[in-house]
Amino acid sequence: MPRDLLSVRDLTTRFFTQEGQVNAVEKVSFDVEEGEVLGIVGESGSGKSVTALSLVDLVEDPGRIVTGEINYRNSELAESASENAPDAVDGDFVDVRKLPERHRRALRGPDFATIFQDPASSLNPSLPVGEQIAEAVEVQRRASANPRSTRSRTQSYGLGKFLLGTALPGQGYLTEESKARAIELLELVGIPDPAERAEALPHEYSGGMLQRAMIAQALAGEPELLIADEPTTALDVTIQAQILDILGDIQEETGMTILLITHNLGVIARMCDRVGVMYAGEIVERGSLEDVFDNPVHPYTQGLLGSIPDLESAGGRLQPIEGNVPSLLDQEMEDRCYFADRCPNAMEECLEKPPEFPGPGSPDHAAKCYLADHPYEPEQALPEDYFDDESSDTTVGRDDGKDDASGEGVSADD
Amino acid sequence: MVSDRTWRNLTVELKRSHLAKLGVVLILFILLAATFAPLLAPHDPKQTNPGEANLPPLGFSETRTESTTVMEDGEITIVEEQVQVNAQMEHPLGTDHVGRDVLSRALFGARTSLIVGIGGTALAAMFGVIVGLVSGFYGGRIDDALMRIADIMLAFPSLVLAIALTGLWGQQSESIPDPFHELGLAPDMPAEIVIPSTIIAVVALVNWVWFARVARGEALSVRNEEYVKAARSVGASDLEILWRHVLPNSLTPILVLGTIQVAAIILLESSLSFLGFSGANLSWGLDIAQGRDYLSSSWWIATVPGAAIVIAVVGINLVGDWLRDALDPGIDQGEGGV
Amino acid sequence: MTESLLEVRDLEKHFYERDTLVDRALGGEPVSIQAVDGVSFDVREGETLGLVGESGCGKSTCGETLLRLQDPTGGTVRFDGEDVLDLSGDDLRSFRRNAQVVFQDPFSSLDPRMTVGATVRQPLDVHSVGTKAERTERVCELLERVGLSSDQYDRYPHEFSGGQRQRIGIARALALEPDFIVLDEPTSALDVSVQAQILNLLSDLQDEFDLTYLLISHDLSVIRHISDRVAVMYLGELVEVGPVADIFESPKHPYTQALLESVPRASTDERDREIETLSGDVPSPRNPPSGCRFRTRCPSVIPPEDVTIDQREYRQIMDVRERIESREVDLDSAWEYVADEQPSSGGSSLRSLLGDDVREDPFRERHAEAFVDRLEERMLDVELSGSHAQTVRSALHELCYEDWEGAASILAEEYESVCEVVSPALQDDRTHPVACHLYDQPDSVTANVADADVSAPVGDTVRTDGAESD
Repeated sequence: MPRDLLSVRDLTTRFFTQEGQVNAVEKVSFDVEEGEVLGIVGESGSGKSVTALSLVDLVEDPGRIVTGEINYRNSELAESASENAPDAVDGDFVDVRKLPERHRRALRGPDFATIFQDPASSLNPSLPVGEQIAEAVEVQRRASANPRSTRSRTQSYGLGKFLLGTALPGQGYLTEESKARAIELLELVGIPDPAERAEALPHEYSGGMLQRAMIAQALAGEPELLIADEPTTALDVTIQAQILDILGDIQEETGMTILLITHNLGVIARMCDRVGVMYAGEIVERGSLEDVFDNPVHPYTQGLLGSIPDLESAGGRLQPIEGNVPSLLDQEMEDRCYFADRCPNAMEECLEKPPEFPGPGSPDHAAKCYLADHPYEPEQALPEDYFDDESSDTTVGRDDGKDDASGEGVSADD
Repeated sequence: MVSDRTWRNLTVELKRSHLAKLGVVLILFILLAATFAPLLAPHDPKQTNPGEANLPPLGFSETRTESTTVMEDGEITIVEEQVQVNAQMEHPLGTDHVGRDVLSRALFGARTSLIVGIGGTALAAMFGVIVGLVSGFYGGRIDDALMRIADIMLAFPSLVLAIALTGLWGQQSESIPDPFHELGLAPDMPAEIVIPSTIIAVVALVNWVWFARVARGEALSVRNEEYVKAARSVGASDLEILWRHVLPNSLTPILVLGTIQVAAIILLESSLSFLGFSGANLSWGLDIAQGRDYLSSSWWIATVPGAAIVIAVVGINLVGDWLRDALDPGIDQGEGGV
Repeated sequence: MTESLLEVRDLEKHFYERDTLVDRALGGEPVSIQAVDGVSFDVREGETLGLVGESGCGKSTCGETLLRLQDPTGGTVRFDGEDVLDLSGDDLRSFRRNAQVVFQDPFSSLDPRMTVGATVRQPLDVHSVGTKAERTERVCELLERVGLSSDQYDRYPHEFSGGQRQRIGIARALALEPDFIVLDEPTSALDVSVQAQILNLLSDLQDEFDLTYLLISHDLSVIRHISDRVAVMYLGELVEVGPVADIFESPKHPYTQALLESVPRASTDERDREIETLSGDVPSPRNPPSGCRFRTRCPSVIPPEDVTIDQREYRQIMDVRERIESREVDLDSAWEYVADEQPSSGGSSLRSLLGDDVREDPFRERHAEAFVDRLEERMLDVELSGSHAQTVRSALHELCYEDWEGAASILAEEYESVCEVVSPALQDDRTHPVACHLYDQPDSVTANVADADVSAPVGDTVRTDGAESD
């Protein structure tokens, strides 16, 4: 029985914008097992990226994590935290949110590493790629050499170090070992002739190479959990295939745990053991890959799978989900199943928020839908025009772009 | 043209920022002063009265040492006596060396500053925006040529250029009748508003480059927008595209720049008047120049118009900042739900 | 066979960089970017031709060029028998009525300062169609037809979601009742559920108004779903054209095969599907590879006839050649390494003298073997067998004396492939032509092959796995 590495409970993140409160992530709970690849799939505005950012405490203003626990299993951390933050500790688990800010920040890198959609903006354009990776290696080395000292973990390449390094070249922050390790990492992610490429600046790399460098940087910290937020969305399919290959290989070799966030169901199918489907800030269905792809219960999951044109056979008509993604503005959200207005099988009881019901298949399978509990009852159906007043109002939340960097359309051609 | 969203951004930002409020108040103050100068001013700003020269502002009554030359028995003696000079209600900000009312001059000076500031900016913007839009929209050789000219213009210090042009063209001005005087509301005031046309042309010529550069930058980005391609694909002509798409979508930064340019041009006009290049005989810069000689004895002659310049420039810049903060973030970004 | 509505022949669009007056004055040569380089295809009346390729391959430029949104640098485009590139004045205006475009980005394709009604009405205004009232009525009709409501006439684009904006863009394209519409990535900015709505709408409109589509997309599943025929583009050239079923079920060009393989399928057996990923990146269109442009990534480059070699080894040697020819090997760091490894001479002190000692010929001679070893270790991922290893070593040996040309010529002499010497071309008069030396090539190409004195494959002797003969 695999152990949970991370256990998230009732995570709620909101954005407080001029237009009003945006409920980007609403009481999301999930577990990440050690050594698995957990996928979170959803359309733009579903809150999947905000969920990822919330885990590493990188939600930006005006966003804030309102409630929730992020329990992270790490006995060493639990031991050291029991001295200065005893409420955070529960056995081997530490509620990351209850740790002091400094300690929380120190988890980024050696414990949780993140790779983002846009590698070009994640690397410093004026430093050689190898050096930036070596820096991450150095942070990890110091952390593991002295795990209980937060100082060694939080210390990074500050101004003082920079001045020292400039004045006394021999006193550089980076050791030869970490530079050598950086080159190894570049080789691991499949960059040809890494020794030479390590000296190059980010702009000398192509998009695919940059994404590899990002992965290398994330691996430098030997993280317990790798959070990959749309890691291949900005890339072409042939390059996407390379990157997925590398991620898969590394995962297999090191047994690293990966949380993969994407809108691409194909990428999920290729990489993941278990899947959570997000809609309007909630995980509406979760389970093993087979549960979700072969026996989806939630009409949204069914609709999502039905919307993809099939590559293997010439298409008949697609079965789209009618309507639009709801705005997540608090004042426009009613206390009902958020999908009811687009659902072909909406019933009267859907006007009340459904709890999570177990689904068929593996014990993990569950869906927030009454249909998981009992079959559709046509006589209970909502009249077709029930939501018409709302849906004719086309005004959509103007800020949901914020919670999911509208990255779906990045493939700018030429 | 101005959408609800723009209004909302403007009001939200105005509520948020105290500096913006201050800017609006200052500008309203100057605008009102300039518009109603004939009604507000206690005296004709040009009326000299040597008997009341160098009167101090209210609250600054002072004792002055006055020397009188007395001829007595063929001997000339200089008698120094202490004279109490009292501020007069009639001249709340005092009078200058020839007895003109400082307050009235400052009020009328606001007219000149605003006429030159707004007129010069409008002219500069018109010319600069046309050049910039054409340059950015067409690109290539046209852009190359126009921008090199702009670079050359920028290479001259603007004050030197302005002096040279003023010297070259002379200091002409036009006059239009003052409506308040026409209506008989202010019979004692000057009958005409003087528009220093040369100065307006000069400041416009010195400052159009800024508009050209900003407009070019905007046009460069707008021309690559797909809606411009879409307009072209339905057969719209270049002129239609420039007028219906490129110009409206470039306006925001041009507007912000325009506000700030008004302030810059007011300063430039004052500098020119200060140096003696002025088409108008009522100008803050001119008054400062004249008051300069009396700084040690009658400081208010130069200080009052100086303060007026500060109020106008600070007010306009604060409003410029407000517009920039309110209009810039994402008005052109599609921010609809994704 | 139905008639061709659009005939594109040798369409070419080169961009020039560093081409300003100042650059000219300083005597710089403009750099050309060959975005579209000699593309020929037909679009038949009533069909959907899918143009697929990765970003930067020139597919969007191609679409814009044939609509005269950009001026081509060469080639011809005939629309309904008329040469589009010669049109001007009224003829150009009437062409614009017949050929429309829907853009990719629903945010940038609508003017944020124009109401939806004004946007859709613009084509009618430009062409002065009907009275003002008639235009307004027509706009309302169009909005309803694409699934919006006529109440939304006075709204601004930012009030709409991406899918709704794309509907507005479609309504604008339909306003003048065109025969032909270029769909430039119409759904790539949309979520899948919305994408499906738009794809369905596009198919319905095609049936209703007898439209002909050129669908430009990087998404193979979208292409498969609504195209009748497909053209595959790589780095400015077409590599394969054919009916949709042929392209997807029996792709011929190694690039098409790799592209299809790379797409992750949304099904549970996806994890077990073995795929061979393409190596490397798309080369820069500033300096495209000679011959077949895909050869730098191709898993089936054709070795010379007299060379027997495993494809992986051949690929490796070709990569090494590429780097030597572009002089992209850091020799100094290799020498540095060699110097460091000399225990007798006390590594660090010698290293500090680097630049003097190390460059001396005696040093080079003494340590040539170690240097070549180091280069081999760095540059080769695949173990080479027997004679090939020897040849490569001898080439690397030339690099001891920085003789780049010598090294390059040793490898070129032995390994020059037909793929790098002669550009393949699409075969004529076939329903499924492909531009690849693995297949019969047109006479003009075979003649070049003979001239170039390289061995071309004979008939069916060389084939990639799974490729069917034509």
